[in-house]
Amino acid sequence: MKGENIGELEELVLLSVGSLYQDAYAVNILKVIKDSTGRAIDVTAIHSVLRRLDKKGLVQSEMGGATNERGGRRKRMFSLTATGRTTLDDIMEIRSKLYQKIPKLAFNISLG
Amino acid sequence: MNRQPPNWANKILEWYCDPDLLEDLQGDLFELYFEKCEESSQLAAQFSFIWYVLRSFRPSVVRKTQNTYINMTRNNLKIGWRVIMRDKFNSAINVIGLSIGITCFILMGFYVQQELSYDQFHSKKERIYRVWLKEIYGEDQIFFNSTTPLVFEKTFKESFDALESVVQYNESNFTIGEGENKMEEKVSVISPDALNVFDFTFVAGNLESAFKNKQDLIISQRFSKKYFGEKSALGQSLIIEMGDEPMVFEVTAVFKEFPKQSSLQCDIVVSNLINESLFSEESLNAWFNVGPETYVLVKEKANIATVEASTQDFVMQHLKGRVEKGEYNIGFQPLTDIHLNKEIPVGIAAVGNAEYVKILGIICVLVLLTACVNFTTLSIGQSIKRTKEVGVRKVMGAMKNGLVTQYLHESLLVTFFSLLLGVALSYVLLPFFNGITGADVNLSFEWWHLLLYGCMLLTIGVLSGLYPAFVLSSYKASNILSGHSKIVKSGFFRKGIMALQFMITVFLITSTLVMNQQLNFLHTKDLGYDYHAIVSLDLNPAPGSGASGLPGLSASAIQKGNQLKERLEQYEQIKDVGHGSHVFGTEGWGRWSYTDEKDVFREFNILQTDAHYLNTFKIKVVQGRDFDPNNETDATRGILINKAAVSYFGLKDPIGSQLPGDKFGDHVIVGVTEDFNFESLHQKISPLVITQNLTPIISAISDFDYNSSPIPKLVFRFEGSNLSNLHTIIEKEWDKTFPEEEMVLSFVDQNLQFLYEGDNKMKSLVFFATILSILIASLGLLGLTVLVVNGRLKEISIRKVIGASQLSIFGMLGTVFIRQLAMGILLSIPITYWFVSDWLEGFAYHIEVGPMPFVIGGLVSFGLAMVVIVYHTIKAANVNPVDRI
Repeated sequence: MKGENIGELEELVLLSVGSLYQDAYAVNILKVIKDSTGRAIDVTAIHSVLRRLDKKGLVQSEMGGATNERGGRRKRMFSLTATGRTTLDDIMEIRSKLYQKIPKLAFNISLG
Repeated sequence: MNRQPPNWANKILEWYCDPDLLEDLQGDLFELYFEKCEESSQLAAQFSFIWYVLRSFRPSVVRKTQNTYINMTRNNLKIGWRVIMRDKFNSAINVIGLSIGITCFILMGFYVQQELSYDQFHSKKERIYRVWLKEIYGEDQIFFNSTTPLVFEKTFKESFDALESVVQYNESNFTIGEGENKMEEKVSVISPDALNVFDFTFVAGNLESAFKNKQDLIISQRFSKKYFGEKSALGQSLIIEMGDEPMVFEVTAVFKEFPKQSSLQCDIVVSNLINESLFSEESLNAWFNVGPETYVLVKEKANIATVEASTQDFVMQHLKGRVEKGEYNIGFQPLTDIHLNKEIPVGIAAVGNAEYVKILGIICVLVLLTACVNFTTLSIGQSIKRTKEVGVRKVMGAMKNGLVTQYLHESLLVTFFSLLLGVALSYVLLPFFNGITGADVNLSFEWWHLLLYGCMLLTIGVLSGLYPAFVLSSYKASNILSGHSKIVKSGFFRKGIMALQFMITVFLITSTLVMNQQLNFLHTKDLGYDYHAIVSLDLNPAPGSGASGLPGLSASAIQKGNQLKERLEQYEQIKDVGHGSHVFGTEGWGRWSYTDEKDVFREFNILQTDAHYLNTFKIKVVQGRDFDPNNETDATRGILINKAAVSYFGLKDPIGSQLPGDKFGDHVIVGVTEDFNFESLHQKISPLVITQNLTPIISAISDFDYNSSPIPKLVFRFEGSNLSNLHTIIEKEWDKTFPEEEMVLSFVDQNLQFLYEGDNKMKSLVFFATILSILIASLGLLGLTVLVVNGRLKEISIRKVIGASQLSIFGMLGTVFIRQLAMGILLSIPITYWFVSDWLEGFAYHIEVGPMPFVIGGLVSFGLAMVVIVYHTIKAANVNPVDRI
């Protein structure tokens, strides 16, 4: 796993790219994150995270079709690479494994 | 649809953005913009668009430049960084050595700069001149002063049209305040017009309000706080005892005190209109009495030379019949010249020591030079390792110029780090430096410092990197790659500069040693008197006592002294109480002159004492006898002279005779004292006359010159062991006798230290430079030895296998630097000799420069080199050959 660690925002963006499937570009990702977590993230931050993920080989991109609301400019559409997919799987697995290990008692105490 | 985002922001985005990223980034921003327009106002959308454009400006977005120069520089720096990181040991030596040199350069350089920047802050400095007066009445009879007659102010204004203003400056100590809060304070007396000549910055009041009336006073901010606290000083009054009675002055303005780099330092300033009340009509118009300094401001279009040319006419107009042409000379000296020009005598303005500033300037450049040389030799040494790199680069098509540029970038990078470290070190070491040297360097940041550091970076980096760069880039690719063994030439230049470096180091070590010897000599030389545990108490006449004139003031002080003496003599720790007009440790004892009956001009120093003074200081009388306290005639007509005076006056049988000259009153020489150094050892012992009664001598005297107060001081020997005990006793008795006056007590041995303060400061600075240069040189040697040893490890191992002893290996490696070292030591001898002889010339009494300092200096540097070499050789010689071959 060494060297493949990604940050929290990177993970969030990666997940959004996966979940948006064929409709993933910066503005959409921004909206998904805002809808699902309530966090308003700067579009420039999304751009730089996307570039980082691209460099790490976790996502790939190609230029999509032009639309009018962008003044005729094309979008850069992102999709998960195989490595990206595996990374997400690994992260989820580790999280759920650790989550399972929390003893029931801990919940009781925190509830009590 | 006129709802486009702001065009200029869009343009900026297009300008900086990488073309590959532009389309989609721009698209996203546009999309968000239109959305925001729908949701809220267009204005908000425009704001957020601009914000996003600014936020997107990051390195990953900015377009890659196509400029070859920038790209190559980036590449060169990247490679330079890798080279530095590859050999950390060598790089560290380079950086540390260079940064030490830079630290030294910065600290000493700023000290020198500070000395050179005196009086630069006056906005009219180019047009301000100080007047000097040189009276020449024959070979030995020259009076050269930068203080001038009072009458100059008035007459200059009338006679010289080219002068915009003529102002005078004077200062003396007066008692300020009344009742119990009396304090002696320096008061400056200036012409009101001086406020227009010099740059006074007012914090309260202004130019117009100051000095409207005769008894107006302006005060510095610092002293305003001291006297009036936080409340406004304007309109407050200060009582100053000038002349016979207290005068009330009104504060009319508060000014910011002058910076430290100012020859004139004033805090309490009164108008010189007051002179009318202080001086008689006669003194005000006298041409042969000097007092204040005169400054002139030349008109903007005029030239000082025209004024200078007409001074003789001016003198003739006023002094016709009293002086011949050429006897009474007036000259002008630029204001900014005062601090360091030693040709013109010291006036009131404090001066620095031009000699020391020059020497320090040279030394700080020398130390920096050793550091640069170090860097250069190390780089050349290192270049052996990099020949293959050069070969490959050349094969790949690198041009010589390109290689030179690349290596220069490396040295610039090293210099940059050294500079960072050096500047940081200077700030850290500053308090320490100021502490040991007594210099008062201030490093508060100013913008031009950045420029200076930039210049240093370029100069040091290019100078020390240029030669190695050319050496490296001149290797022939074919030679290197075909494995020719002798690629690196013997390098005359390299050996030369190494010798230069050793030379500077040995020079500094030797000079420090000689200076040390001389200063030790000063401290241990028998001065002809005993100054240990002797205390001196100022006896300024009580204010309001009505005493005036030198004889009156002296008499009043002596009376005070006798009162105190009676009380002090009851303590058994206090012995040998006496008094005298001057005490050892102060310079500028009274100098009197007259013309004897054969028309020979004579000058001597004068000391007025009581009958106990010589005994207090244990001064030996070699002929005749000391004053007898019980002898009435001794007190009125007896005088003592020193041996120097005997030969000066040409007295064959001094005892019972008189001083040559027919105008003296009744006096007789009762004794001759040993020659004792009553002034600093910079001066030769001059003829001295000691008398209890000034009257018979003074009658013949035509000129006086005092640079220290001739008011008698009480002196006594303290034989107790507890100094605080001494203070308690004196304070108690003083308060009983003179409850309203301030007590000024000093120790003679401490005052003597002050005489050599400048010399000691100089010694510390040279010592500081020496330590640094030894450090730098050792670092350089260390680096070079490591390089040489590492380059020959295989050879050493093979020699060992065949049977070489450690000693022979050491001999082999040791000889590498011996020649340069020997050369350096040899070359340093004449330079050091010239330098220290020049310095010693400044002392009338000095040591002879012997061979010892040179031997020690040579041995020390030799030993240092050996220690470094031996250490590495032993390490190399102890390596198991198996590991190396």
